[in-house]
Amino acid sequence: MSGNTIETTPNGERNDDERSRGRDTMVSIRDLKTYYEGGGLFDNPPVKAVDGVSFDIYRGETLGLVGESGCGKTTLGRTLIQLEEATGGEVLFDDTDITSLTGDQLYEWRRNAQMVFQDPDSSLNDRMTIGEIVREPLDVHDWKTPRERRNRVKKLLDQVGLAAEHYFRYPHQFSGGQRQRIGIARTLALNPEFIVLDEPVSALDVSVQAEIINLLEELQDELDLTYLFIAHDLSVVRHICDRVAVMYLGNIMEIGPTEELFNDPANPYTHALLSAIPRPDPTQRRDRITLHGTPPNPRYPPSGCPFSTRCPARIRPEAYEALDDDVWDGINALREILRERMRATRSVRERIRERFDMETRFATMDETYEELFGGLDVPPEAEEVLQRVADIAGDHDERRALDALDEEFGSICDGVDPDGSDEEIDPEYYTVGENDRKSYCHRHDDGFREPAPVLDDRH
Amino acid sequence: MSSRQTNVEETYEDEENDELFVDLIRKNPRPALIWLAGVAILVLLEIGRAFAGLGQLIGIVSYLAGGLAGVPGYVGGNVAGVAGGIVGSITTAITAVVMLLLVSIPFAGRVPDRAVDVLGLDLTRYQRRWTKRSVLALVLAGGAALFALSPVGGVTALVSSGVDSLASSLPALTSRETIPNQGYRAPDGGWEGTFMGLSPAIAWAIRLTLVFLYAMVCLVWGWKGFEIYRTHYRQADWTPADDTIRRFKGNYWGLFGLAIVLLFVVLALWAPAVSPVQAEHNIYQPNAHDFQYLTDDGEVESTTHVFANLDSRSDGQGTVSPMSYDTYDRWAPLGTTARGQDMMTHLSYGARTSLIIGITAIGLGALIAVVLSLLAAYYKGITDIATVMASDTIQAIPALLLIMLLSVIFQESNHPIAQPLDGGFLLALIFALAYWPGMWRAIRGPSLQVAEQEWVDAAKSYGQTPLRTMRKHMAPYIAGYILIYASLLIGGVIISTAALTFLGLGINPPTPEWGRLIDGGQSYVATSSWHVATIPGIAIVLVVVAFNALGDAIRDAIDPEADVEESEAATAGGGA
Repeated sequence: MSGNTIETTPNGERNDDERSRGRDTMVSIRDLKTYYEGGGLFDNPPVKAVDGVSFDIYRGETLGLVGESGCGKTTLGRTLIQLEEATGGEVLFDDTDITSLTGDQLYEWRRNAQMVFQDPDSSLNDRMTIGEIVREPLDVHDWKTPRERRNRVKKLLDQVGLAAEHYFRYPHQFSGGQRQRIGIARTLALNPEFIVLDEPVSALDVSVQAEIINLLEELQDELDLTYLFIAHDLSVVRHICDRVAVMYLGNIMEIGPTEELFNDPANPYTHALLSAIPRPDPTQRRDRITLHGTPPNPRYPPSGCPFSTRCPARIRPEAYEALDDDVWDGINALREILRERMRATRSVRERIRERFDMETRFATMDETYEELFGGLDVPPEAEEVLQRVADIAGDHDERRALDALDEEFGSICDGVDPDGSDEEIDPEYYTVGENDRKSYCHRHDDGFREPAPVLDDRH
Repeated sequence: MSSRQTNVEETYEDEENDELFVDLIRKNPRPALIWLAGVAILVLLEIGRAFAGLGQLIGIVSYLAGGLAGVPGYVGGNVAGVAGGIVGSITTAITAVVMLLLVSIPFAGRVPDRAVDVLGLDLTRYQRRWTKRSVLALVLAGGAALFALSPVGGVTALVSSGVDSLASSLPALTSRETIPNQGYRAPDGGWEGTFMGLSPAIAWAIRLTLVFLYAMVCLVWGWKGFEIYRTHYRQADWTPADDTIRRFKGNYWGLFGLAIVLLFVVLALWAPAVSPVQAEHNIYQPNAHDFQYLTDDGEVESTTHVFANLDSRSDGQGTVSPMSYDTYDRWAPLGTTARGQDMMTHLSYGARTSLIIGITAIGLGALIAVVLSLLAAYYKGITDIATVMASDTIQAIPALLLIMLLSVIFQESNHPIAQPLDGGFLLALIFALAYWPGMWRAIRGPSLQVAEQEWVDAAKSYGQTPLRTMRKHMAPYIAGYILIYASLLIGGVIISTAALTFLGLGINPPTPEWGRLIDGGQSYVATSSWHVATIPGIAIVLVVVAFNALGDAIRDAIDPEADVEESEAATAGGGA
């Protein structure tokens, strides 16, 4: 998945584009990967939390980062401020690759980039007074004299809407919203340029959320801050962000200006995500795109496009274009089951039980087949292939079964090269829309139909 | 700003807190002055005893310093025996340097910047930290050399002898000289040499009452000091500690435990005043000290304690019961032991022994447990695995067996560590070794939990050093747990010490120890000398129960959820 760099730097041909003019890249992320090692003595494959991500963050903007839980957005944010070590790629912060900083350089750099944490209950040390908490970054960086530090803390408390008298209070004495304000004050203490906001309002009451959002916006104007706003609440993102990046399974699926992306999503995943927003107008009927299954295990991401296992606009082989949607769902589910079975190791006991036709924790292939395609009207030519696949899988040769399945039903989305080579094909970032928007989907290629009409057809 | 002064926030922080604190005191000095005057009066009342305590402290410190100073030479000597003299000397030097650096690391943060700026080097933060540590280690080495090689060393001896002579010459309210209780019956009735001619029993009772009164006044005054601080000088009008104290105050079982524990501590601290006869005379060197008594013939004669003790044994045949005089008119408030020594003296000095062993063992064990659990929780990975392995290895051997093994080995070889307290110090070290894995296990969960808190991440995100993160952001959350387990375990240590001594393995005579009293009296339980084993037995049970009650109460007090649902927390409180 490497090598797919989004060229977001405005080039000469686009100088009529007002939005991109005068934009100054602050953070430039290139093919960033953060893997969590399996742990233990065994050589498990790592969890690919962030798997080759590239984008830019412009000075003074708010970039939203959305996606469902577990897609790696928090890990990405933590890697940007070096709370996690990057496995590969680089993060250029004003042309310095911060992933290579160590010791004192890292310590000096840290004052430029800070983070507001998600849970205000957990981000403040209950045994310290508010003054001590907000002052600690200043102490660590030995900022001026103690008296000036104290004054700065009081000014910061005032700035985030608290009072100087709160200096000697303890976090217990504050509500969730106030605690988040304290966290923000601490974040601002060192006067950073770049702040990662990790779901800063998701743990708060709705009424308080708006206050905190407004505070963040005011502070941005006042202090020229650049935000990376991580969230799963799309309406909040739409409100505060200049641009939005949509993340799925460690990859950026689409990135572009907020309004454009919300009004006219390009990537099928963005379509699905946006269709989940409840609409206040009950007369406006629009089909919700329901995604089947759960996101794949990031330890074993699918080959090809990361979204291929659940994509509602997946490219289908021409021969089966007319196949029923339910059958396709079944085929996708079958593929997942096969992949899962391939990874599961069978114990000796299970092998023996199987030999004697006793029950094991693996359902037999026949049962699975029956469950997936039982009540469906599967055309004979497809049924024949599916039966063959099920038979191969019944002999515990899942690899060959998967190959057979891919050969018949696989497409470029699964990494199958249409030209027949064995190489795995990953999607590319295509520029869509007018304002420097990128989407990570094969459907933007000239050879295929765009996602939007396909989705309309299928749903 | 690359080499701006760094790493001095700690000194700043203290100054700053002082500054504010000092400001508040300057504005309103009256309560503080009144309190300090009270403290001064209390100290003056017991000035002689204060100096005696200081003298003992100096003795302990110089013993420890001497022992540590001997380590490099000892290691080097062992290496020299195997690998030759030069290697041995080098090893000695390396060991010394490593030890000095280890000592300097926790304190290097307080070294002022000037000490490093003098060198005129352009240092990074990391280099600066290590330079400070090296500078401090160098200063320490210089100081040590000065003491060892120059006449300066003599000054310490002078100071300690000065303190000792002050201790014996200065008066104290509760001293034996102020209220003597040892005297003899005068031939014409009445008592000679006792306080105001009163009987020894009454003189002793007065002294005992004074001791407890004094201790109580000290406690109350200390509490008063905290209240004065809280109302007049603390900047925060509420801290989490206030809730803890409030919850503790309402826990009567815990207060009972606290009271007994305080009784035990007072008994140990004021052992010389509480005992009717000097331990030195009656227990340690009974043949070197004599006393006067009135014979049946009506004459005042002199005899040594060793002979008198022979006639005062409570061994089934003869018995000196509690609250009675022996045939030599010596007052025995708790009777005598099987060997004729005074039980009260034995019990109070035995409390001292138990307390020293308990505090040393638990303090050392808790320190190891806390440091290892914090390191393991913060760094995880290989540090964690190494800690788990170390603790499992120790826990694989049954604790009592391990303690017996080690104590026999060291005692039989007459190792210098086995000298202080007749093996008591050795026992304390062995207990620390055997018990830290238990404490470590108890706090491992909470440590891992607190390491996952976002404030630890936050500290990392603005560049706080790991050491300080552990101390400021993790250790306070472990402190409550370790306090609970320490207070529960200290009862265990006391009982194990007694058990080992009962078996004849722990503390050798003449150092007083409760376990030996029980051992000595066990065969007379059914006779008229039943008190010999019973009194120390009851004392041990009381102290252990009290420490357990205290531990339970601390656990309930530090649990903030105890407030929310008082009744439910009481039933579910056993979880910690």
